[in-house]
Amino acid sequence: MKYVIIGNGVAGIHAAEAIRQLDTEGSITMIGDEAHDPYCRPMISHVLDGSVTPDRLPIRDAGFYDELNITPVLGKRVTGIDVNNQTVFIQEKTGSSSMDTSHTLMGLICKLLSVLLGDDPGSETGPKDFRKVFPYDKLLIATGADPRPVKAEGLNLKNIFYMRTQEHVSQMLEVLPDAENALVLGGGLVGFKAAYGLLRRGLNVTMLIRSGYPLSMQVDETAGKIILDELLSHGLKVKTGTEVKVFEGTDRVKAAHLSDGTEVSCDMVVIGKGVLPALSFVPDKIQTDLGILVNPYMETSIPGIFAAGDVAESVDISRKTPWVNAIWPEAVNQGRAAGMNMAGRQVAYKGSLSRNVIRIFNLDVMTAGIVNPPDDPSYEILSSRNNRLDIYRKLVFREDKLVGYVMVNSVEQGGILTSLIQNEIPVRKDCQWSVVSSPLSVISGQLTN
Amino acid sequence: MKQVVVHPERCLGCMQCMIACATAHSQSKILFSATLEDPLPKPRVHLGAGLYAEGFPNRCRHCEPAPCMLACLPGAVFRDPERDTVLIDPDRCINCASCAMACPFGVIRYYQDHTAPPGKTVAVKCDNCLERQEQGLIPACAEVCKSGALTFEETSDAMKRKTDVVARSVSADISQTELSPGFALLNTIRKAQAGLSAGN
Repeated sequence: MKYVIIGNGVAGIHAAEAIRQLDTEGSITMIGDEAHDPYCRPMISHVLDGSVTPDRLPIRDAGFYDELNITPVLGKRVTGIDVNNQTVFIQEKTGSSSMDTSHTLMGLICKLLSVLLGDDPGSETGPKDFRKVFPYDKLLIATGADPRPVKAEGLNLKNIFYMRTQEHVSQMLEVLPDAENALVLGGGLVGFKAAYGLLRRGLNVTMLIRSGYPLSMQVDETAGKIILDELLSHGLKVKTGTEVKVFEGTDRVKAAHLSDGTEVSCDMVVIGKGVLPALSFVPDKIQTDLGILVNPYMETSIPGIFAAGDVAESVDISRKTPWVNAIWPEAVNQGRAAGMNMAGRQVAYKGSLSRNVIRIFNLDVMTAGIVNPPDDPSYEILSSRNNRLDIYRKLVFREDKLVGYVMVNSVEQGGILTSLIQNEIPVRKDCQWSVVSSPLSVISGQLTN
Repeated sequence: MKQVVVHPERCLGCMQCMIACATAHSQSKILFSATLEDPLPKPRVHLGAGLYAEGFPNRCRHCEPAPCMLACLPGAVFRDPERDTVLIDPDRCINCASCAMACPFGVIRYYQDHTAPPGKTVAVKCDNCLERQEQGLIPACAEVCKSGALTFEETSDAMKRKTDVVARSVSADISQTELSPGFALLNTIRKAQAGLSAGN
C-alpha cells in the first residue's frame, strides 16, 4: 500500500502515526511545505509574547520520519493531483528569479535525497524545472490553511508580516528590538494574539477591527467587551470599522493610511485577517466548499482521497452543517481518524466543534460552539455575571441540548461543557440553570477551587 | 493492576480525600507543616456536588486515549504505560488551559506547585499517588476515605461486585437488596429538602 500525505502539520503527523500503528509495511511519503521538524503551530503566539522559547516548539524530534519509516519531501508545495492516474505531483521552475536560495537549496537536497534513496519515481523535465510525481493508493490532503491576504498598496514594504508559521514569528522577533509602534490588522484569533504578544513585548499597538470588539466570531458582545477593556487597560489602541488603504515607507513600512482618512505611524505591521484553506492545487473533481468536503470517514468525494485539518470541511456538531473549524484539537482528531480509515479500519469522526481557550494578562476566556445564536425560538440563552468574582457565563441551548458557551475566568472545568456539546447530551430544563448559576454546581467550581 | 475506584453513591461529601491529597502532594507530607508551605499544596481530587448537594469525589480517570493528552499543545501530558497513569511534565507545560477545554471531567487545575519550577503556574492533576505507591502505600484519597466511596482495588474485582448486585436486583427479592441503605436514605432526604426549597 502506498500512502501519500500532503502536509506535515499536526493533522498529517497524527495520520501518519495512526497509519503506522495499523500498517507497518506500507510506504508513507509526507510532502510538506515547511522544512522544520514538526512543530506546534498555536504556540508560535507564545513565542511572540516571550512566554515560550522557540526550542520548545517541536512536537516530534528530528528522528520522527526515520522512526516511522516515512519518506519526507520537505520545503515543497504540491502543485496538482491526477485523480485518474492516482498521482500527486510537484512542478515548479526552480530557476526563476522569484525563488530564493533556501528554496533552491532545498530543491537540491530533495533531489540528492531521492537519488541516494533510489526511489525517484518522477522525472526531471529540464535543468531549471523541478518535477516529481508520487503515485498513491491512499492520499491524505492535510495542507492546512494560508493567511487570508489583504488588499492594500505598499504590501511589498519590509516589516509587514503574516503570522502563520514559525518562520513568520522568527522574522518578527528580529525586527522587535528596533520597533516601537505596531499596527495589527484584524481582531480575530490571529490578530488578537499578535496584538497581545506585541503588547507584552512593550510596543505601542494599534489594532484595526471590523466590529466593536475583538474575537467577534468566538465570543459574544459581553465577553468581547471584557476582553477589549482588559487590552485597553494595558495600552492597546483600537480603531473600528476602518481598513488600510496604503502602506507608506521608503524601504520599511513607516505609516499606514486608513480608509477613514487618518494615518497611523508604525514600524511593523501584522496582518491577522484569519486563514483560508490551502486548496488551490485541488482538482475540480474533488468537491469543495470553503474547504474540502469530507464524509464522517474523512474521505472526500473521490474514494481513496482523504482530507483532514484546517483544509477539511466536516459537519459541525453544534451548527449541524458543513463548517471549517481550523483549530489544533480538531486537526489532531481528524488526522487520527483519517489515518485509521486510510489504513483500513473504519472509524467515524463525530464532527468538529469550534472552540478556543485564551489566557491574556489577568483574564481567562473559554468558548465553544454557537455563542451568538440566531433569533429563533428553539434557542435559549442562560447567562450570569458576577462582577465581584469577575466571572461571566453564557450557555446557549438548542431545545434540550447545549450547543455553545462562553466562560470568562474560572475556566478550569469548561471541558465538562465541551463534552456536553460534543456528546449531544440532553440537559433537563430544571437542571439547565444549575449548570450556570448554582453555587454548588460543578461548573461554578466554588466548592472545589 | 490496582486502581482507585470511585463509588459515588457512598460519598458523604466530607472532603477528607481533598485534605489527604493536598498533604500527600506537599513537601513535608505532614498536614500541619503542609499548611505553612509556600506554594501551598492543593488537592488533586475535587469534591463536586450533584443536583441535590450529594457529594461526588471527582478524580482523574486516566483515560485511554486521554483527551487532555491529545489536546496538549507543548506535549507536556504523557502516559506512563506501566502504571497506567496520565502525567503532566511541569517543565514542558505552558499553562495554556487547552487540557481544561478538553477534559470531560473537569479535574485539571492551574497553580504553582512545589514540583514545578518556582514561580511557574502549571496544570496539575491526580498522579495516582505514584510516589506513595513506590513506598508501598496506597493512594492517599482511598486510604483516608471512611465511607468506602474511594477504594483501591483491582478494577475487575470492583466490576464483579457491581455485576453481582445487578444480578441480584433482577431476582424476585429486589426490594431486599440495597447497595448502601444509609446513603440511599441520606440522598432521599437531600432530594426532599431540595424539592421543598425549590417549592418556595
